[in-house]
Amino acid sequence: MTQSNEATETRAATRGPRLRLDLIVQRLALAAAGIVLWWVSSLSVPHYILPGPARVWEALRLIAANGDLWNNLAITLWRVVFGFVTAALVGLPFGIVLGANQRAGEFFEPVIPVLNTVSSAIWAIFAIIWFGISNATTIFVVFMTAMPLIITNVWQGTRTVSADFIELARVLRMPRWKIMEKIYLPTILPYFFSGSRLAFGFSWRVSLVAETIGSSSGVGYRLRQAADLIRTDQVFAWTLTLVILMATIEMALLKPLENYLFRWKKDVEMQ
Amino acid sequence: MNSRNDSREPCPDGAQAPAIRLIGIGKSFANGDRTIAVLDDVQLTIEMQAIVGLIGSSGAGKSTLLSIIAGILKPDHGQVCICGAASEEFNDWRSVGYMFQDDRLLPWRSAQRNVEFALEAGSVASEERVRRARAALELVELDAFADAFPYQLSGGMRSRVALARSLVTEPRILLMDEPFSRLDAQTRTAMHEELLRIHRLKRMTVVFVTHDVAEAALLADRVAVMSPRPGTIREVIDIEIARPRDITQPEVTRYMQRLRAAI
Repeated sequence: MTQSNEATETRAATRGPRLRLDLIVQRLALAAAGIVLWWVSSLSVPHYILPGPARVWEALRLIAANGDLWNNLAITLWRVVFGFVTAALVGLPFGIVLGANQRAGEFFEPVIPVLNTVSSAIWAIFAIIWFGISNATTIFVVFMTAMPLIITNVWQGTRTVSADFIELARVLRMPRWKIMEKIYLPTILPYFFSGSRLAFGFSWRVSLVAETIGSSSGVGYRLRQAADLIRTDQVFAWTLTLVILMATIEMALLKPLENYLFRWKKDVEMQ
Repeated sequence: MNSRNDSREPCPDGAQAPAIRLIGIGKSFANGDRTIAVLDDVQLTIEMQAIVGLIGSSGAGKSTLLSIIAGILKPDHGQVCICGAASEEFNDWRSVGYMFQDDRLLPWRSAQRNVEFALEAGSVASEERVRRARAALELVELDAFADAFPYQLSGGMRSRVALARSLVTEPRILLMDEPFSRLDAQTRTAMHEELLRIHRLKRMTVVFVTHDVAEAALLADRVAVMSPRPGTIREVIDIEIARPRDITQPEVTRYMQRLRAAI
């Protein structure tokens, strides 16, 4: 066990840092260029149309100082995570069953595209009718958006399980549940993971839609409030916070996790 | 299912029991509305510790016969005896190793974990599993690559991991379905030497399928020549050449010619 960790570390050490460094420089340059462009454009426009970086920074400090930022961020994050985790818990077993059982798959096949074509805005309207202004509204919308995405991906993954590997396990007289654990699950995992990442990104976006129309708290609610009061600087501040938070989760959490989990895959860009 | 159940003979048992005994094996597959006889009345006895080659043109049913010996395919007729027990009563399948045409390594597992996979079917404690997999990798001289993933290994190395995986269970019988056919000539020769070296150490019974007369003449003590449609054993040839053998030896060439003529 320790040895395999060592191997991963040496590999990461030999090809990681040099690449990372010039990548970081590139990204910083890109961000700086974006900010300069923003600042230049804001000079010739009234601040309630396009506030400059300094004004937005002030707004950000204000909402951070009075606790508004953290409270609403926490509420939204909690709703997204709850809806998303529920979707994953339902989507994973459903996807496996639909993929492994041909009859179930054929029967339910039309349901997924139908669910996927229903817009999140429509789910939000239904949610308000059914749940009113409450946590459940946002959670429901997140769930209904993320669940079909996860099912679709897991389903696809189940179809790629190699008959050769199943035969190998059968020759070894491996019991069925171990075949599920040792061959099905690792085959499906990359599909589940990419489906989850997609679904998580969607969840964030639709949670805001749901909160703007069906909630009295959360980032989406605050965004609408700021817009109603024509506090464009606050709209920008909320948006910026969200973008940074999403990018951080993506780059600091999901990407490294994916790299670790799927380190056995041949690195396409290295060839 | 078995229309000729009545003709079933008892398996010979006791200390003298052969590793494998095939009695009147028949198998056909349905193809649309036609049935194709793949094997018909195959008789073969393979002694303990022998290295036996099954050779024949494609479609002679070699791989089907190997699957039947491995117990993953049921014959329509006849009886398979493994170590003196009828195949369906034999319960020690983990002492029968199987090597596929391709290496069939799980891409998400390291070499070490791939070898461990063979032990995970049973209930071997994890420390012992790790130790035995390590020993099997040492046996094929790949312990330095224990932590490498399959994509990081060459074709020959992958083949050796697959060999280690089929050896880690300490099989008394090793079944091989054209195991080296996808390797280049040089690597294949190296794998032959590897296999013979391990055989000298472990003395397991080896049955391998091949369509390569050189491979048969170099490895086998006996070669069963199969002919197609329906597949049956046409001739059994003892290869009486001392080891180590070499492809340049005139006797080897003579046996190769004889095998080629028999196919």
